[in-house]
Amino acid sequence: MLTVKNLIKSYKSGKTTYEVLKGVSLRIEQGEFVAVMGSSGSGKTTLLNCISCYIPPDSGEIGLGDTELTTLDEAQLAEVRNQKLGFVFQDFLLLDGLSVRDNIMLPRIIAGKVGPEMERAADRLCEVFGISHIRSKFPAEISGGEKQRTAVARALINDPLLILADEPTGNLDSKSARAVIDSFRQAKENLDATIFMVTHDSFAASFCDRVIILRDGVVWREQSRGKLERRAFQDELLSAIREMGEVTEK
Amino acid sequence: MTTFSEVYASLRKKNRGQYALLSGCCFFSVLLITAYVSMMRSSTVLSVLPEGGDSRKQVMMIFVLAVIGCGVFTTYASSLFFRYKSRETGIYLALGASKKQIRTELRREVALISFGSCALGAALGTPLAWLIWRLFQLFIVDTSEMALSFDREAYLFALSFSAFVIVMLFWMLSRFVRRTNIIDIVSESRKSEPFRHVPRWYGPVGILLLIAGALLGYLTPSFCVLVLHWYPPEGLTAIMYLPAFFGIYMILLHTVVHGFSKNRYKHIITSSMMKFQGRQTVRNMLIITVLIAGAYFASFYTPMLGTSALMEIDARNVDYAFHYRADQNMITQSEISEMAKDFGVTITSFTSQPAVILGVDGMEHIEQKSRLGETYTKEYRELLCSDTFLSESAYNALTGEHVDLLPGTVTTVFDDNGNSNGMVDNEVHLITNAITGQTLSVTPVEPVLCNSMLFGRRVLDDGDYKKMSYGLTNEWQETQVFFNVETVSKTYPFAKQLFHEIVSRSGPEVEVYDAWDPIAQMRADKNGKPYELSNENLEANGFERIEYEKKDSSEFRLYWKYMPQFRVLDKADFVQTVAVFLMLFIFISILCFAAVVVILYTRCMTIALMNARVYDDLRHLGASNKYLYRVVKEQVSRVVFVPVLTGTSNIYAFYLLIMYFNDNGNLSVNELVGLGNCLLLVAAVSAVLYGIYRATLRRVCRELRL
Repeated sequence: MLTVKNLIKSYKSGKTTYEVLKGVSLRIEQGEFVAVMGSSGSGKTTLLNCISCYIPPDSGEIGLGDTELTTLDEAQLAEVRNQKLGFVFQDFLLLDGLSVRDNIMLPRIIAGKVGPEMERAADRLCEVFGISHIRSKFPAEISGGEKQRTAVARALINDPLLILADEPTGNLDSKSARAVIDSFRQAKENLDATIFMVTHDSFAASFCDRVIILRDGVVWREQSRGKLERRAFQDELLSAIREMGEVTEK
Repeated sequence: MTTFSEVYASLRKKNRGQYALLSGCCFFSVLLITAYVSMMRSSTVLSVLPEGGDSRKQVMMIFVLAVIGCGVFTTYASSLFFRYKSRETGIYLALGASKKQIRTELRREVALISFGSCALGAALGTPLAWLIWRLFQLFIVDTSEMALSFDREAYLFALSFSAFVIVMLFWMLSRFVRRTNIIDIVSESRKSEPFRHVPRWYGPVGILLLIAGALLGYLTPSFCVLVLHWYPPEGLTAIMYLPAFFGIYMILLHTVVHGFSKNRYKHIITSSMMKFQGRQTVRNMLIITVLIAGAYFASFYTPMLGTSALMEIDARNVDYAFHYRADQNMITQSEISEMAKDFGVTITSFTSQPAVILGVDGMEHIEQKSRLGETYTKEYRELLCSDTFLSESAYNALTGEHVDLLPGTVTTVFDDNGNSNGMVDNEVHLITNAITGQTLSVTPVEPVLCNSMLFGRRVLDDGDYKKMSYGLTNEWQETQVFFNVETVSKTYPFAKQLFHEIVSRSGPEVEVYDAWDPIAQMRADKNGKPYELSNENLEANGFERIEYEKKDSSEFRLYWKYMPQFRVLDKADFVQTVAVFLMLFIFISILCFAAVVVILYTRCMTIALMNARVYDDLRHLGASNKYLYRVVKEQVSRVVFVPVLTGTSNIYAFYLLIMYFNDNGNLSVNELVGLGNCLLLVAAVSAVLYGIYRATLRRVCRELRL
């Protein structure tokens, strides 16, 4: 599904170059729910932005299905973003001037794939994520959790190969965060969605099938949940993070 | 909603305010420039502003300031618009919209905004100018010269400015769409400007630069002309003012970043919020400062001119004065008495004294064109030009003074305050009778005489006068008449009739410009060169012809060489005589003040729009509404008061400087009173601006829910 090979990305600030990703490689399978964790500056958001085609990597490969993303031109990248990827952002990025339903339909409108089927798909997603009752409302009139569930529904409207989520629970209270994670799980279970989520939150990550931990621009460790209870998996994640901190201190 | 265009349309409807702001700014800028240029280029105005004259330069200078101000302001409004647009554009791009789709939609919107608002502004600019002018005519003054006619060429300027606005908007659009980093675009609307360190010495150094620039700019031309004998190009004068401009910039920057308060923590929120929009804030404040200076510069014209002229008229020591050449069949004393009787006017005193026109020596300015521009050398001429001479007894008879000059001496009459007004000097050493060629060496003596009614005349000892006037033909002789009447304020009809009678009795040989000089004419004729002030050459040199037919025109009344000075006539017709001048400058100041108000309002509203999130954060941190109100008030008052105070105080100081130096380092009583009236005007305008500040503050607070 998603294959990242030896991804390198650096930024320049004045005369200094900062290498953020120093050869990240990973693989995500169809229907997997994967989180990326790591301390600030570890490169997790940069990794997500490269996969999202928002920023070009310096070198390396990003394969999505049969498509190698690093070789595409601007128009092709736009098409990939629209057809094969779905996005969920920390601050929702909904358009305040559009209703919940219109926001959900926006990727289809951009693609020009409009019609009754689009409306039916939007209504179905509203039902799946429990936001049918607010579908005519505007973002300013709904709660943070509802906004993020709207964003998840929007990410799914084009049946993408992969959903990319950047700190989706970062701006939410625990109840809303739980609702958003539930909506990801619903998407995975009911719609066979593949989800790649960047998060700081061990609670959110503990719902995932697998967690990739980044440190200083490389994959430090991968933890699979397997058959562990959620709470036990969270404890494992916390001890891994603690261990990473100790290694860093040494 | 099924198309991308419909998404844009839907958001447009929701975000009407942003579109209205940009459209309004474009519309207002084009409207203002069109109105200004329509008036500036109208034949009504051009005919009374001499080409190359100071008034035309001032009008042009303020126009340039207005164009720069509107240009920068529109660019600012456009950058705000694209800043707002960046979030939704970032979302479209993130969701897979192509740049082509976005470019198409934005082009449509920008075309609608720019063409629509510019066309409307250009179409309504001239009607606005006409409307304001009509209001002047209806409520203030109406003369035949104020009949307004517009020049089609004005539309070229208006179209050029509209083209600038449209091109600038499309250029910003293409720059906006070219950007590739979606993350940057999404976060653009929340980004602060990069902050550059502003040292604390910017404030005091700015003040010094401001003073130095004003002095340098104002005094450099005089220094070049008087000391270097070089007429500097106007560009040089403009460059000399640059330090003042930088000074204002530094003062504003210092004020925005640090403020002038010593208590850093009291204003920490205000200063830090403004600091990160510093460049835009300072740029806006600079525009406001410059426009307010331009507006006041234009509006000071009326009180200064009005006060000075009316005080001069009131201070005259005689009610009726006129002079005429002896070869004219002028109205006699008995005829005047008859006319007075017909109008029920009682003449209480009447004096008529002879005067003669004699040639005088002096330094001639010989101008040369060189690589450096125009320079001049001075060469002594025994016979340079002419002056009107009175005998000491004639002067005494006219004024009631007891002047007694020694033979071989001469003195000059300055105004009542002893000022030469830069127009005459007491430097005559050789006098020539233009008919007989008789010459007389004289020594100028001090003190000079003070009498505004005889300003510029020379006075000789009786014996010298008799000797030098011998053999002069009538065209070189004049009669000076002074008379007083009872209750002068009620003698306007008589004054008007007498003025018309004097004009009708004057022949074509005296249908001449005020500065026309018979000796200069003679010398030009002798050298076979055209004399620029002879009536037939006036128009070619940018002056209006003097014509008896237009005896009630301001041109005639201001510039006819033999224009009588009748207190009641001059006072009553003052506004009419200078109506176009006055109304033009009032018009300009209205436009500039309107621009100031619009820019102030827009800038203050953006404080609310751009900082709404910060105010919410402060509220979450426990800031009370009272505290937040204080922060908003500090910001709005800085945006309003700093440029308004800087512009007002600087232009007033600059005006003071002009008044002081235009008369060899002197301030006359008339100028002082005029400056006092300017202060009253400043107080009145400031009160209006304060009202606008309060209303704007209320609106900003409402936006921020305070």
